[in-house]
Amino acid sequence: MVTWSKPVLEIEGLVVSYGALTALQGVSLTVGSGEIVVLVGPNGAGKSTLLKAVAGLLHPRSGAIRWEGEELSAIPPHRIVERGLALVPEGRRLFARMTIRENLELGAFTPRAQAEKSRRLDRVYEIFPRLQERQDQLAGSLSGGEQQMLALGRAFMSAPRLLLLDEPSLGLAPRVAEAIFSVLGEFHREGLSIFLVEQNVQAALTLAQRAYILEGGKIVGAGEGRSLLQDEHIRTAYLGPLARGGQSN
Amino acid sequence: MLWALLGLGAGFTAIPLFTESDYLLNLGVQLFLAVALAQSWNVLGGFTGQITLGHAAFFGLGALVTRTLWGNGVGILLAIIPGILVCIAFSLLIGGLAFRLRGDYFAIGTLALAEMLRIIVGNLLPGISTIPSTALTNYALLPRYYLGLALAALVVGVAAALARSRIGLGMQAIREDEAAAAASGVGVLGHKLLALVISTGLAGFAGGVFAYYHASYYPQYPFSPLWSFEAILMSFIGGVGTVHGPVLGALFYTILKEYLAVRLVEIHLLIFGTLFILIVLLLPGGLVEVWTRFRRLVHRGS
Amino acid sequence: MILAQQLILGLLVGGLYGLAAAGLSLTFGVLRVLNVAHGDLLMLGGYVTFWLFSLWHVDPFLSLAAVAPSLFFLGLILYCVLFRFVVRAREEVRIKNSLLIGFGLTLVFQILAIQFFTADERSVTTAYGGEAIKIAGLAIPLVRLASVVLAFLVLAALQIFLNRARWGRAIRATAEDWEAASLMGIPVGRAYLWAFALGTALAGVAGGLVSVSYSISPTIGLEWTLKALIVTVLAGLGSLFGSFAGGLLLGFAEAGSGLLLGGAYREAVGLGLFLIILITRPQGLFGSR
Ligand SMILES: Nc1ncnc2c1ncn2[C@@H]1O[C@H](COP(=O)(O)OP(=O)(O)OP(=O)(O)O)[C@@H](O)[C@H]1O
Ligand SMILES: [Mg+2]
Repeated sequence: MVTWSKPVLEIEGLVVSYGALTALQGVSLTVGSGEIVVLVGPNGAGKSTLLKAVAGLLHPRSGAIRWEGEELSAIPPHRIVERGLALVPEGRRLFARMTIRENLELGAFTPRAQAEKSRRLDRVYEIFPRLQERQDQLAGSLSGGEQQMLALGRAFMSAPRLLLLDEPSLGLAPRVAEAIFSVLGEFHREGLSIFLVEQNVQAALTLAQRAYILEGGKIVGAGEGRSLLQDEHIRTAYLGPLARGGQSN
Repeated sequence: MLWALLGLGAGFTAIPLFTESDYLLNLGVQLFLAVALAQSWNVLGGFTGQITLGHAAFFGLGALVTRTLWGNGVGILLAIIPGILVCIAFSLLIGGLAFRLRGDYFAIGTLALAEMLRIIVGNLLPGISTIPSTALTNYALLPRYYLGLALAALVVGVAAALARSRIGLGMQAIREDEAAAAASGVGVLGHKLLALVISTGLAGFAGGVFAYYHASYYPQYPFSPLWSFEAILMSFIGGVGTVHGPVLGALFYTILKEYLAVRLVEIHLLIFGTLFILIVLLLPGGLVEVWTRFRRLVHRGS
Repeated sequence: MILAQQLILGLLVGGLYGLAAAGLSLTFGVLRVLNVAHGDLLMLGGYVTFWLFSLWHVDPFLSLAAVAPSLFFLGLILYCVLFRFVVRAREEVRIKNSLLIGFGLTLVFQILAIQFFTADERSVTTAYGGEAIKIAGLAIPLVRLASVVLAFLVLAALQIFLNRARWGRAIRATAEDWEAASLMGIPVGRAYLWAFALGTALAGVAGGLVSVSYSISPTIGLEWTLKALIVTVLAGLGSLFGSFAGGLLLGFAEAGSGLLLGGAYREAVGLGLFLIILITRPQGLFGSR
């Protein structure tokens, strides 16, 4: 398989468990500098678990997570953010009782991000004018799509070099999801690396340079984004008419 | 291990045969009350995991009812039973509501309830309660000693039987994981109520013995939160959720209190409070765990 | 007239209930730890004011400038030595152990206070202590009024800190969702530390005000913890001014019930109110217990 560039994130033999349940059973993958890599897989495959482990919210049982050669798995989440990884978590996890503006400014909490705060805030407002219009309203009052924009903007505020996204299109109307994907494309063109977990396989694979398939805690397939769209397994399991219901168990 | 408890009981039964020392007998009664308080708290707080800070309410209620009846001429044994029954009735009355509360809410709710009772009793009965002068002139320690011993034996016996029973296992399952216990068919509310009834009934009995033993006190005194606190300290320091722990804790507590009280008032509480915090943080099994670890070490060594 | 006078006194004491509750709800809201030793921290703060006044004649209101930092420091120590070890435990363990630790602390502080300060009831009596503002036949004790105003100002300052300052916002974010906060790069442990120390400092300031407006003794801790708890369940978490208003309400309700039932029952009424709220909202302040 082609790796497009020097990998920034390398995951090797990652094992993560919740008590007796082993959610990831030796996962290895890489994300190259400036790449968009997509991870697809059925419900319960361990996708969120993988992202949380990278972000430092879960501690792996074994295996390695390396960011530019440095081992991350013993580093607490807030220091991982400082190193330039930002996770947009499943369900967005906005601070609903704080204003939109406050949410964005909190995104730039780290000293490194503080320095770029006003420039990045302008940029976020430029991309999502809706957020500027409503900047003094509580985040909890936003619609689902606006919330996802805010979550994305908040992550962008931390001056990341790798964005980790957990199902950003979940529960959004197709048009809104499209808008989100196009923003991701724009971030990518500005040089961000992106590691994207998606259920919207069609859209994600179109965007991606490479993709991995995770099932039952194991990587069962990988390939280039667009070529995977032609893959037999992908077509039946993720793109066919029974895709969603048929795979989850 | 149960033999140790039986031996202890036999030893205490025999003590009055060898000594008539008021000092020792008084110490004995205090120890028995301490064992009863700690162990009865342990049934609800230890076995079932429902940390209550309101145990004193039932100790106080038992004392109040027993003292009132006994003061009006009812025989002491007959006077204790209604005390227990009132506690049980009251616990059933509040139980359904109290168990809607979880965790710290249950703890502070029971504390608030006990404090409310204490204030009300203090307002209604402001005077000192003194036993009738006839009883005072005939005051003998021996019957108090044996009644206290019977109380302690009963409470420990109930706890031991409970620990081995299916019901006791159900209670422990609730402590470990309430949702899982419910999922595996344990009737959660029923078990909690039963633990509450047993715990408060025994506390009421202890209150009755207190009323029989103490010549004079303010009626609100047995409602003091300190009784709840002591019960918790003793249980945890000995080993919460075990049968031996509260007994060990009560022994340790009573003896140290006696020893230190000679010099400095209340200093024992400072030591026990500190010890308690350390145990919660570092040694959740209490002294019993120290003992089992020690034995394991010795066994490995030999 | 007596009625109005009593109700005003009730409001004045209520302001201090509010201040005590604000500290409790700050630690409860951020750390999800119920510190039952809160009232004892208040008691210690009261003694700092008392001793500064009796040893060096420091004006009690001025002494708050020393009380707040010293209790803040105590809070730092307590968090680092004790509560740090429970905040990250799984929910049941955290609730249980923090409760037990707080409970152990109440005993320790109380006995230490008796040991070093004796069991006597103390209060700060300043030269201006007896003065009162007279309006329409009502006498409003100056010191108590000043205490409530000060309590309000302290809360306002803290609210501004929480709203504006970088760390203030970090504390609010941590209270709402600590995991998401850590994803923002906030060191959550540090946010807990600040919040706990601030809550302790608030307790201390409340204690200082209690010692000049009312009186303190080593055993007042439990009573004040209960007051703060009552107000907290009454007013909910998340707003310092909510706590303050809840405190005024409790003071008012106590005074009212004292007039109806006799002063001896005012405490019992507060507790009764508390139990009713608890039972009608058993899921707790976070709504999902
Ligand atoms: N906190 C947890 N405790 C215990 N088990 C968990 C926990 N979180 C996830 N799991 C289990 O780990 C496995 C992987 O979960 P994960 O959330 O990573 O899946 P996912 O691929 O993100 O699924 P989805 O598409 O539904 O978001 C599942 O079996 C899930 O039940
Ligand atoms: Mg997921």
